[in-house]
Amino acid sequence: MSSTQAEPIPGARKKLSIPFGLTLVALLVFLCVLLTIFTPSFMTERNIPNLARQGAMIAILALGETFVIITAGIDLSVGAVVGFTSVIVAWLLTHDVSIWLSILITLGIGLGIGSFHAFGIVKMGLPPFIITLATLTSLRGIGLLMTNGSTISITNDTFTDFSRNDVLNSLFGIDIAPFDVPNLFAMVILVAIPAWLFLSHSRWGRYLFAVGSNAEAARLSGVSVTRTIYLAYILSSVCAAFVGLLLASRIGIGNATQAEGWELQAIASSVIGGTSLFGAVGSWHGPLLGAFILATINNGANLLNVNSFWQRIITGGLIIVIVYFDQLRRRRR
Amino acid sequence: MPTASPTLAPRVALAQVPILELRKLDKRFTGTHALKAVDLAFLPGEVHSIVGENGAGKSTLIKLLTGVHVRSSGEILWQGQPAHIATPHDAIALGINAVHQEVVLCPALTVAANLFLGDEEIKYGMLRHRAMLRDAQEILDEIGFNLPAGAMLGSLTIGQQQLVATARAATRGTKFLIFDEPTAYLTRQEAAQLFALIRRLKARGVTIVYISHRLEEVFDLSDRVSILRDGELISTERIEDTNEEKLIRGMINRTIEQVFHKEAVPFGAPVIEARHLSGRGFSDVSMTVRQGEIVGLYGLIGAGRSEFVLSLFGREPATAGEILWQGKPVKIRSERDALKLGIALAPESRRDQGLCLNMPVGFNINLPILRRLTRGILIAGRPETEAAEGQISDLRIKTASRHALASSLSGGNQQKIVIGKWLNHGAKLFIFDEPTVGVDVGTKAEIYRLMGMLLKQGAGIILISSYLPEVYELSDTLHVFRTGKLVASHGHKVASHEDVLSQAIGV
Repeated sequence: MSSTQAEPIPGARKKLSIPFGLTLVALLVFLCVLLTIFTPSFMTERNIPNLARQGAMIAILALGETFVIITAGIDLSVGAVVGFTSVIVAWLLTHDVSIWLSILITLGIGLGIGSFHAFGIVKMGLPPFIITLATLTSLRGIGLLMTNGSTISITNDTFTDFSRNDVLNSLFGIDIAPFDVPNLFAMVILVAIPAWLFLSHSRWGRYLFAVGSNAEAARLSGVSVTRTIYLAYILSSVCAAFVGLLLASRIGIGNATQAEGWELQAIASSVIGGTSLFGAVGSWHGPLLGAFILATINNGANLLNVNSFWQRIITGGLIIVIVYFDQLRRRRR
Repeated sequence: MPTASPTLAPRVALAQVPILELRKLDKRFTGTHALKAVDLAFLPGEVHSIVGENGAGKSTLIKLLTGVHVRSSGEILWQGQPAHIATPHDAIALGINAVHQEVVLCPALTVAANLFLGDEEIKYGMLRHRAMLRDAQEILDEIGFNLPAGAMLGSLTIGQQQLVATARAATRGTKFLIFDEPTAYLTRQEAAQLFALIRRLKARGVTIVYISHRLEEVFDLSDRVSILRDGELISTERIEDTNEEKLIRGMINRTIEQVFHKEAVPFGAPVIEARHLSGRGFSDVSMTVRQGEIVGLYGLIGAGRSEFVLSLFGREPATAGEILWQGKPVKIRSERDALKLGIALAPESRRDQGLCLNMPVGFNINLPILRRLTRGILIAGRPETEAAEGQISDLRIKTASRHALASSLSGGNQQKIVIGKWLNHGAKLFIFDEPTVGVDVGTKAEIYRLMGMLLKQGAGIILISSYLPEVYELSDTLHVFRTGKLVASHGHKVASHEDVLSQAIGV
């Protein structure tokens, strides 16, 4: 085969000099160093755990959202699911349901919501944007109806203490307060490890990418597109329900109007973390880093007394800049 | 350059100045020397074909002429003057237009709106819809395309859309028109309309550059033909001075017999049997596919062969009749049923149906067998790597690595993945729907070799092709379809081309 030798090899390219994930880590570290230098109150035993707790919830939300975005879909309902499930768990706890059963039921409701989204997309043929927009508004409505527009206070201390406590303290009673890992942050790790195994090392993780890249080709290769879509939306809603539990624990109430706009923060975190809204591009670590970058910026802006209106503008600008650089990077490939 | 024969025969050169001349045109991409100092002249009013394998530099040449890429060195002369073509706009301004293999128009607009896109008729700042509709219909009628100007582009067949794209390119003061595989998706009739247009344009003095893998078209249309191989110009000859053998040898250094190489595999037990199967678009079709056998289906578009095969694959289940799978009656109600039994389909349109283009090569290769690569709940790393690397070397897929994106491969190599990903899967029946559309001769030979590998593994193959030499040379049994019925069946190379064709047409 003499003719094959001289033919150029397509797709030849140099290895990317720096992986995108490392760039994000560098950005996060850079932000922290900057804030440590310019504000005395950033690197303090009060602020750092606080930041870890703040970022944790959006991080988990963004991770769930990423599964959906990889299939080239979108889940606009996650913020509403957080608010709604905070009401559910608060209601259950005030009606003397045990903690573990309350948690299970709440997560089960998340599963139900995700299944409903997938049903709407697969069986009714609705675009993901529409079906999740519909649940976004109606879930908040249902939550408000249930509470008659008011707030349910959670009186169960075991439940609310969880979010304030740290890992070593709650597990072994060792109190090294500022140096311990906050429970909320530990939850990110608890979710991230299975997410990593799922997305990078399991068959179903691959199927998410295949469906997002070319659903028809995936189907002809024997992938059940229906089941994959169900899986993605269920994971997203269950993550959101999980965050609903964490939020209820942190603020000690159930209220359907909580977590307003979190869906956009989750999507922004995911996109900053390198997820492509066109599908088939995304990682487990990207959205986590994205969420903590956003949280650090907001936190830093607060400490620097930057007007909170400016914070929104900065977040918007950051999304444009990071995604633009990511696009440049992809185009070079 | 000793291999390049004189670019102009003296007789022709006396009469005419080239409309476009390439001097030592050269293009390098990172790591690839795509075009190597090509000298070539195009005369006014000639049809100049360019042939070569995928990756030979044809697409690069087109892209340099249409301003998609900019040359690395060398010169382009337009009517004797050095021309700088840096953007598509520059090319169009000179009068250079191209009809691409894939239609790049707006499916949600009407044919008329697409024809006038970017050049709309406007009065008082408003679009003149009715005037444009009328003018568009006039243009289409004048160039002999039988198309409704008011129809939505998206409602037309791919072939008809291709004709709209052609009409658009041909009617904008074009002096130099490039066709890239224009007949890949055209029916016979549409192709005839296209050829008539090409002849008319030529008579008006338009220069046509015609790129096609179908050599019979090249001989039918061209005045001269140039061969590219590995980015080099091998020869330019007048069409009378060359023949099919010579062209193929120039393109690949291989003979026709070597291209249609057929493995002799002994037949085994029947894999699938259709008994009096009927469904939408076909009725009362019976046939058997045995292990080691290629069953070819030939027929014109709409003859029912695709409908029949899709019912075997469960997309539109048969309404009557019986299917036996390895001797046992089965119902195939969905594609999942088919895949579970072990029926695999290599679809016609690899971009739309066959590949996850923005995913890595290895990902695509392993997609059908992930279940088998899974240990417990996780995918085992080493078997996965081995499966992918093994396929890449067995199939001779030209790729930088298994991590390269499928979209970075040439069309032929992409098609190798579409077919080759089933090799590890162990499916028992393969349906190939037009497996070599838009694929060069060398890759065709590779794809036929893959089919041989599948046969040796004990699989049966159903081959659908509109390219008669292909089904004719490769099929152990050749079934001819006409108007939804199986009208004739032949053994390997028993009937003549003419017989098969007339049975398909029904004369």
